[in-house]
Amino acid sequence: MPSPDERAPDERAADERAAAVSLREVSLTYGGKRRGGGVFGRAFKSADPVDALRDVDADIPGGEFVTIVGPSGCGKSTLLRLVAGFARPTGGEVAVAGAPVTGPGPDRGVVFQQPRLFPWLTVRRNVEFGLRTAGASAAERRARSDELLDLVGLSDSAGRLPHELSGGMQQRAAIARALAPGPRILLMDEPFAALDALTRERLQEELRRIWRRTGTTILFVTHSVDEAVFLGTRIIALSRRPGRIVLDETSTLPGEDDPHTHPDFPGRRERVAATVRAAAA
Amino acid sequence: MLRAVALRAGGVLALLAIWWAVAATHLWSEVFVPSPGSVWHQLLQTSTTHDGQRGYAGHLLYEHLWASLRRILLGSLYGVVGGIVLGLVIGLVPTVRALLGPLVTFVRTLPPLAYFSLLIIWFGIDESPKVILLFVAALPPVAVATAEAVRGVHEDYVFAARSLGARRWQIPLRIVLPSALPEIMTGVRVAVGVAYTTVVAAETVNGVPGIGGMIRDAQRYNQTDVVVLGLLTIGASGLLIDALLQLAERRLVPWRGRS
Repeated sequence: MPSPDERAPDERAADERAAAVSLREVSLTYGGKRRGGGVFGRAFKSADPVDALRDVDADIPGGEFVTIVGPSGCGKSTLLRLVAGFARPTGGEVAVAGAPVTGPGPDRGVVFQQPRLFPWLTVRRNVEFGLRTAGASAAERRARSDELLDLVGLSDSAGRLPHELSGGMQQRAAIARALAPGPRILLMDEPFAALDALTRERLQEELRRIWRRTGTTILFVTHSVDEAVFLGTRIIALSRRPGRIVLDETSTLPGEDDPHTHPDFPGRRERVAATVRAAAA
Repeated sequence: MLRAVALRAGGVLALLAIWWAVAATHLWSEVFVPSPGSVWHQLLQTSTTHDGQRGYAGHLLYEHLWASLRRILLGSLYGVVGGIVLGLVIGLVPTVRALLGPLVTFVRTLPPLAYFSLLIIWFGIDESPKVILLFVAALPPVAVATAEAVRGVHEDYVFAARSLGARRWQIPLRIVLPSALPEIMTGVRVAVGVAYTTVVAAETVNGVPGIGGMIRDAQRYNQTDVVVLGLLTIGASGLLIDALLQLAERRLVPWRGRS
């Protein structure tokens, strides 16, 4: 059960050369024909076909923190769910580490907007869920969950049930749970959108710290330009439906000690915001 | 807490007082409205051996009660287990839903007494038709509640589990069933309630020992005080069982309504 930071340096370097995620002319139209996206063959149902994404192309190298920003309904969450394997594109190809995505898997951890912790399991058992499915021994599970709970600052809440935690703590636990199997990529779908402003800022800062420490590739969907610029070493903006990439640029801001007060921050935020505004109109 | 207890005790006392007052007017004879005193007397009579007679119809009150409870518990147990399995399958497999959904609804709308005659023809007049009757009556509420809850499980829980390496076949037991547990518990309470309302009917045929059999016999001899005693006994035990189920629910699904 190697976590990314425990892997051999040459292995990590190889990962970083190879595209962690590659999107080739990815399109998704739903409603037109049935596509068994759900686990039990549940299909998207819609009277008229909806073009959610059209010809999205991107190569994301390992280790990057990619933020995907765009107006609501632009298909950014859909894009993330395609990478997660919760749905299949109707055109093009989604590949992770060179292999086409055919379904969900432990190489891609997912954090949802709602924490979606299993309410019948304690925080620790939630974190250990992905270790149990991988057949880790009790001792391994214990050690790894201790490490992850410490990473997200929940060591004191290991034995509590999710409903006993605040929203922010639940989302931390969800992050620890998603990291537990040592995923190559962490997919985050507006994970802080439902939190209050103070908690959101604190969690953004912590996520930056976790990313630096684990080196995991992160795809982070948000509708907040501020959040996208603060966190992303690469910022991708999508147009409104059908979603297309209208901006794709790299940034060194997240490497700074305090991106918010950096002189480049306001300019970049304004530029991204203008692009998103133009794309939404 | 203390206030709630006082309120409940007050309510019961008030009802007793009204009952006593109505009986004391003697507007109706003892056959129509037995006094609290004669019901209390019957409680003592049926709980003891007196004049060489053991309890009522040869069984002490607690033996009647236990016979009924045993039928209720067995019927509910089979009904709950069967209902959960059936509900899971109906909720998960659309083909089975199309096949069995209408059948479950059909059985649910039938009054249990309607098919009791059939069960007697098939299984005789001993314990089995009674327990089977309660099983058939208790199964549909659990099956319907489970099926609805299974269909209502948010797909993101399933996706989360799959992303954490859970296999497709592990999803029903590891994710869907526990997710559906709060609604299933509600179904269980309804099912036990249905079993309670059905047991007296089941005991109209060869129901001694049993509270229903006791009530039936007492009715034949116009022993209204015994009828009322039977009603109170079965009602009080029902309250107790429901309180136990509520306690189990709080223990089993503490997250209910909070996640």
